Amino acid sequence: MMIWPMVVAAVVSAVCAVVGTMLVVRRMSLLGDAIGHGVLPGIVVAVLAGGRPGGMLSTLGAVAAAVLTVWAADAVRRRARLSEDAAAGVVFTTFFAVGVVLISLYASRVDLDPGCVLHGILELAAADTVSILGVMVPRPLVNGLVALAVVVAFLAATWPAQVFAAFDTDAARVVGVPVGIATTGLLAMTAVATVASFEAVGAVLVVAMLVVPAATAELLFRSLGRVMAAAVAIAVTSAVAGYLAAWRWNTSGAGMIAVVLGLGYLAAVLVAPGEGIIPRLAGKAWLVWRVACEDVLAAAWRREEAGGVVPTAPGGLLASLAGSWLRLRGKVEGPIARPALTDAGRGEAETIVRSHRLWEAWLGRNVELPVDHLHPPAEWVEHYLGADVRKRIEEEVGAASSDPHGREIPTERG
Amino acid sequence: MTAQDRLESLLSHNTLVVAGGVAAVGVAAAVVGCFGVLRRRALVGDAAAHATLPGIAAAFALTGRRELWVLLAGAAVSAIASLGALSLIRRHTRTRDDAATAIVLGVSYGAGIAAISGLVARGVAGSAGLEAFLLGSTAALTLHDSLLVAAISAVVVAVVLAGLKEATLVAFDPAFAAVAGWPVGWIDAVLVALTASMVVAALPTAGAVLVTAMVVIPPAAARQWTDRVPTMLGIAGFVGLVSSLAGVAASALVPRLATGPAVVLASAAVFLASLGARFLRTSWRPPGVSES
Repeated sequence: MMIWPMVVAAVVSAVCAVVGTMLVVRRMSLLGDAIGHGVLPGIVVAVLAGGRPGGMLSTLGAVAAAVLTVWAADAVRRRARLSEDAAAGVVFTTFFAVGVVLISLYASRVDLDPGCVLHGILELAAADTVSILGVMVPRPLVNGLVALAVVVAFLAATWPAQVFAAFDTDAARVVGVPVGIATTGLLAMTAVATVASFEAVGAVLVVAMLVVPAATAELLFRSLGRVMAAAVAIAVTSAVAGYLAAWRWNTSGAGMIAVVLGLGYLAAVLVAPGEGIIPRLAGKAWLVWRVACEDVLAAAWRREEAGGVVPTAPGGLLASLAGSWLRLRGKVEGPIARPALTDAGRGEAETIVRSHRLWEAWLGRNVELPVDHLHPPAEWVEHYLGADVRKRIEEEVGAASSDPHGREIPTERG
Repeated sequence: MTAQDRLESLLSHNTLVVAGGVAAVGVAAAVVGCFGVLRRRALVGDAAAHATLPGIAAAFALTGRRELWVLLAGAAVSAIASLGALSLIRRHTRTRDDAATAIVLGVSYGAGIAAISGLVARGVAGSAGLEAFLLGSTAALTLHDSLLVAAISAVVVAVVLAGLKEATLVAFDPAFAAVAGWPVGWIDAVLVALTASMVVAALPTAGAVLVTAMVVIPPAAARQWTDRVPTMLGIAGFVGLVSSLAGVAASALVPRLATGPAVVLASAAVFLASLGARFLRTSWRPPGVSES
């Protein structure tokens, strides 16, 4: 394993994550893709003119090509009656094709490997070294650090405008925030990040580096600052993990980094607190379980009230499981099919029946429903009423101590 | 090259075989691409195109075979899987559509690159040929392969023409179509599947990275000439045909010029000309007549 390629990967991933966060929150992800492809002819022309991939000239060429890509996509969208994505699709594929044709026609003069263009070669990029204070440091690392400094400095200088433009572009424009400058600058920074990572990850995979860390971080955090910090952390971790995986299985570093980023996004989709698929399913399952338990308790209370006869006892597997669990907790006793309340369970059961009958009383007073239609809504609502709501309903329905069916409403327990 | 050599190169058996396959693919990709452009989903095909790579690598690794139909079958499976993933992300997460497309595109492409590089690094015989699917390579297209992609193209065009009314309705007014009782979700799914099929069939021509141009640029050019869907399909198909043939011819005449990028540049030229022509036409209209 070589340490330098890993460091290069981590630094360029961090640059991309910083810029990509702004692209993602501004819904400009596809411009990142377009710029990734669109810089190619700029770099090739710069190399034909005597520049070095990753050098000053090719950076300038890339930024110029990126600005041209974005300008052309916008012009095509407006002039050609096309949607934004179709216009971008026309422009960036054309630019990329121009780059590919130039490379193949001038292959003898352009020191660009086709594989390098598409997906970068980390080891090759890191082998191109430059001496700094006597230490041989990979040139792409130096470029990456410079790009990081430029990008961070630009965002710091325009931060309030960036944030305003990100959340409400129109309002920002109305109050005089220079949205155009903020946006153009952001696109230029995208070009800087793209060209800094070009040798390491190529023209196509840069879109993964730009978008996936920020999209993952967005699922975990809400504030822009935290999303950006998390995106950088995710990007650096994935770069290291992806590079190690590529070294272990002897394959493309950039490809494996993209795969690790994808796995990270998948993990966030599954387990993100509050909105991940697993927490949401768990929340639903817990609700179903709580309702089942409360139904068993309420049925037992009604059976007690009626002296042992109740026509609508909850049945089925879920009810028996809930009954077993309540018996284990000491809230009911006796057979699972017809459990009896213990003193520990009676209070809880009474609260549920109280919620149910209060709701029926409230509906009976305020909603024109036949008496036999009051039960089903109350059967749902009984699980959601808190003590304060019960108190307010009781105040409203007044001293009525019975529900519309004439049954007594239990009093609130301390 | 002398004039004689050029003519021979253009009319060689190999060039004609390639031209037949590429032209069929060019027409069909352009026709089905019209609905992506009208439906504002031009880049869904791009995500599917990048996602074909893991399927190609997997098909090769599992079967050890390199026949085009085996690899394209793998490509189709992973393209469809990526579209499924895209639809799941859109439905079940907070991630916005543009980021979702970029995620699917970037990650599946990365997986494909990792898989192909891994196979090449292990020296698996024939694995280096898989890299031809990155940018396309028509040199190795046999008569059999050409017939295969032409057959896929014919089926796709037939399905589009058979469902023209439904597809048009959904492209312009999905809300009305839904209210009127049309299965909008299914029609959309069929259109996306047809686009994915054409992306797969066009892979040998343009490769995963550039294939989206064959689905987007001819419809964008046709849009400059007409507001009617059937006419747009016809013009797009014609643009696809002309640019495919021009690309094949250019690649046969110019050494080292690959077919895929040449086809893309030809269609881009037609697009620019169409855009210019619309400007001339509209600027000649008498004042007071607004553009339709």
